[in-house]
Amino acid sequence: MANTNTAHGESHVQHHFVDSEQQFDSSKLGMWIFLVTEVLFFGGLFVAYIVYRAWNPELFYMSAKELSTMMGAINTIVLIGSSLTIALAVRAAQLNQQANISKYLLVTIFLACVFLVIKYFEYTSKFAVGILPGELYTYEGIDHPGAAIFFSIYYMMTGLHGIHVIIGIGIMVWLLVKTRQGAYNSSYFTPIEITALYWHLVDLIWIFLFPLLYLIE
Amino acid sequence: MAATAKDLNIREFPVEENPKHHYLNAETGLKSWLFTVDHKRIGLMYLASIILFFFVGGVLALALRLELWEPARTFMDADTYNRVFTLHGAVMVFLFIIPSIPAALGNFFLPMMLGAKDVAFPKLNLLSFWIYSFGALFTLYSIAHGGVDTGWTFYTPYSTSTGTAVISMTLGVFIMGFSSILTGINFIVTVHKMRAPGQTWGKLPLFIWSLYATAIIQVLATPVLAITLLLLIMERTLGVGIFDPALGGDPVLYQHFFWFYSHPAVYIMIVPAFGIISEVISTFSKKTIFGYWLIALSSLAIAFIGFLVWGHHMFVSGQSELATVIFSFLTFFVGIPTGIKILNWVATMYKGSIDMKTPMIYALMFLFLFSIGGFTGIMLGALSVNVHLHDTYYVVAHFHYVMMGGTVFAFLAGIHYWWPKMTGKMYNEFWAKVASVVLFIGFNVTFLPQFIMGSQGMPRRYYSYIEQFQTLHQTSTVGSWVLGVGFIIVGIYLTISLFSKANKASSNPWGARALEWMSSSPPAHHNFNYTPVVLHNPYDFHKPISEFRLGIDGSGHGEETESKVELSSDKA
Amino acid sequence: MSEHNHHVIDLKYLLGAAGALVVLTVITVAAAYMDIPRPFDLITALTLAFGKATIVAAVFMGLIWDKKINTMALLFSILFFFIMIGITLLDTLFRDRPFWVWN
Repeated sequence: MANTNTAHGESHVQHHFVDSEQQFDSSKLGMWIFLVTEVLFFGGLFVAYIVYRAWNPELFYMSAKELSTMMGAINTIVLIGSSLTIALAVRAAQLNQQANISKYLLVTIFLACVFLVIKYFEYTSKFAVGILPGELYTYEGIDHPGAAIFFSIYYMMTGLHGIHVIIGIGIMVWLLVKTRQGAYNSSYFTPIEITALYWHLVDLIWIFLFPLLYLIE
Repeated sequence: MAATAKDLNIREFPVEENPKHHYLNAETGLKSWLFTVDHKRIGLMYLASIILFFFVGGVLALALRLELWEPARTFMDADTYNRVFTLHGAVMVFLFIIPSIPAALGNFFLPMMLGAKDVAFPKLNLLSFWIYSFGALFTLYSIAHGGVDTGWTFYTPYSTSTGTAVISMTLGVFIMGFSSILTGINFIVTVHKMRAPGQTWGKLPLFIWSLYATAIIQVLATPVLAITLLLLIMERTLGVGIFDPALGGDPVLYQHFFWFYSHPAVYIMIVPAFGIISEVISTFSKKTIFGYWLIALSSLAIAFIGFLVWGHHMFVSGQSELATVIFSFLTFFVGIPTGIKILNWVATMYKGSIDMKTPMIYALMFLFLFSIGGFTGIMLGALSVNVHLHDTYYVVAHFHYVMMGGTVFAFLAGIHYWWPKMTGKMYNEFWAKVASVVLFIGFNVTFLPQFIMGSQGMPRRYYSYIEQFQTLHQTSTVGSWVLGVGFIIVGIYLTISLFSKANKASSNPWGARALEWMSSSPPAHHNFNYTPVVLHNPYDFHKPISEFRLGIDGSGHGEETESKVELSSDKA
Repeated sequence: MSEHNHHVIDLKYLLGAAGALVVLTVITVAAAYMDIPRPFDLITALTLAFGKATIVAAVFMGLIWDKKINTMALLFSILFFFIMIGITLLDTLFRDRPFWVWN
């Protein structure tokens, strides 16, 4: 498995790796396994969603009407766009186009912020009418005793997803700073590559959240 | 291989006996430990923490047993008793046994057995230790604030309504979950990407296979525990109601989530123990392991089946009859890969030259105790029997036979097996044997009576009991004292061995064949000063030992690069 | 650096994937407004979501050109998610009586 090439003297290769290739492959596999844990982390909430939806289909049909399909759809497009731009950032790194890495990272961060702003308006409009999670729920527009449960699940799922978006923004800002310092080039761009994988997973989860939460008609 | 072997200039590298320079004195000072990225030092720090928490959990257990001396109050009140058994369970499970073998012995030996210089992500490895310590602080905080009285399972709805420090305790467990996940990621990537030249999957030591299977469980199951505890914390802080029947939630769903992690977690605890037993039995029988692939793959099979059977903890919870029947049926399948392992270990000993050194004695005790634990587990998996035995001392005895008789005895086997390699010192063999016998007697005196009490209907977690059980309870309590004495003896002779000068260990005191024994005792800072090349299976005892010390010059990196990288990682 | 032959994903694949994702999103929303009878509305929505997810994983995350082990990791996570939900449903769908107060 580990090949026996002699050293390249590349400064980014840590001492315990044989070469840059082994280090890159390891980081990438490590990130994928981390994504596995993310899938199962969100998976728990999806299980709660499915169990309660199977028990109370009517509740889910009634409650989802309160959510703005338009805002959800725009956010879906925004996240897809950000997935594209971070993939372009990786490509720019592979092709050694320093200026483009920064440019695409910046656009990705911008789109992520747009997502959060839209989410903010969604949340506040719900809070305003008393749609809050669990015990705090006071809204009377849904004629079902279990309405609070739907919104508990909604807030847990989108909230956890939102935290992932915020973490993603933090990492990308850090990447942007490092890129400006010239840390990445075509022979070393592992952090950009694995951050992109993380960001695509955030997109992936939203792709399921959108129809499951917003589009129950 | 043979053609390229010449080109690569493979030769034998003799082992330096009792080296002057090794990982323990490569750097000095407290900082060189706390900020080390050396997997061996991190393994030792884990070992120290684990022993500390084993001591804490053990003292709590002794207190519990003492309280049960009288049918009513002996020396603590019922509320305190509830908190003490909860803490005993939580400390032993989350702070001791889950990290025990993988994070301590696994960290130390996995890279060495692979012929690697370190795990794939040394800094994450250090981070994992710090996260573990941080989580442990939360646990200590909750102990200081009155502890928790829910039992280690934190079942809702009681855990959402009790006034005790549930949030800090579950936050601690939540945080420690990340440490477990990081260890798992590190091990999987290391096994995939860092194996020495020639070390194919079929030449991996079985301890590696068991750690690999464990890492897969850690990665797949731990995130579900994280989300469960997060929901529990949200339940207590915001009242989200997902587990609260008053708001339309379902407390049994909590149990599903909890056991989706915690049943596989049982295999996080026991599968690494299987790995140690495979190493020890083969080494001390001087014989190729019987059924290498069956043992290796049965670890993976246990990991997989372990995910299908969690509901056997919930037979009386009110889950549907259909689920109950299916869970009971699937539970029996766990017995198959486990039985395969037991058979293979016994077959390995058959006609071997068995050397009754301390690790081997512990391994044999493991076979006896774990078999009892396993068979009673099958009993408990049977639906009709379970309804009678559910939440009785029978269950307590069963999982102590598996977890303590199994994992702790295997852990002791592993510590005695690798002690000379880790420390470069040999312990006193006579006292080690005495202690093993004391522990074995103490263990059985403690827990055999609990099977009897349980089958007669003594419920677990009860503060008081009817007088007919007093003799059995007192026997069990006396047994716990014998166990305590056994552990004290172990602690004393191991500590003495560290500080005495006369008992230096050779690099390979047991004549083993796996790669970790081909380094010096204690190992060099970077494990090997060459790139090891593996030609044989680690259990090929019929081949000369010189053929296991092959390697090529250099270690894939220039010395200049190495010193440069070390400087920069010191800063970080 | 001759050994750095990481696959550079062709621009047309990235743009094509993004375009396909937008189109599928529009179809998803449109399908929700059509009166598809239950449970086929859910099946349609989930099929479209899985289609989109496959595009993201295959193209954006580069699994088509990547080492197979990474694809396996993703598939394993999905398999174990299905085990979790599948077995849980064996309980929740077949209970005599749920636990909530309003039933």
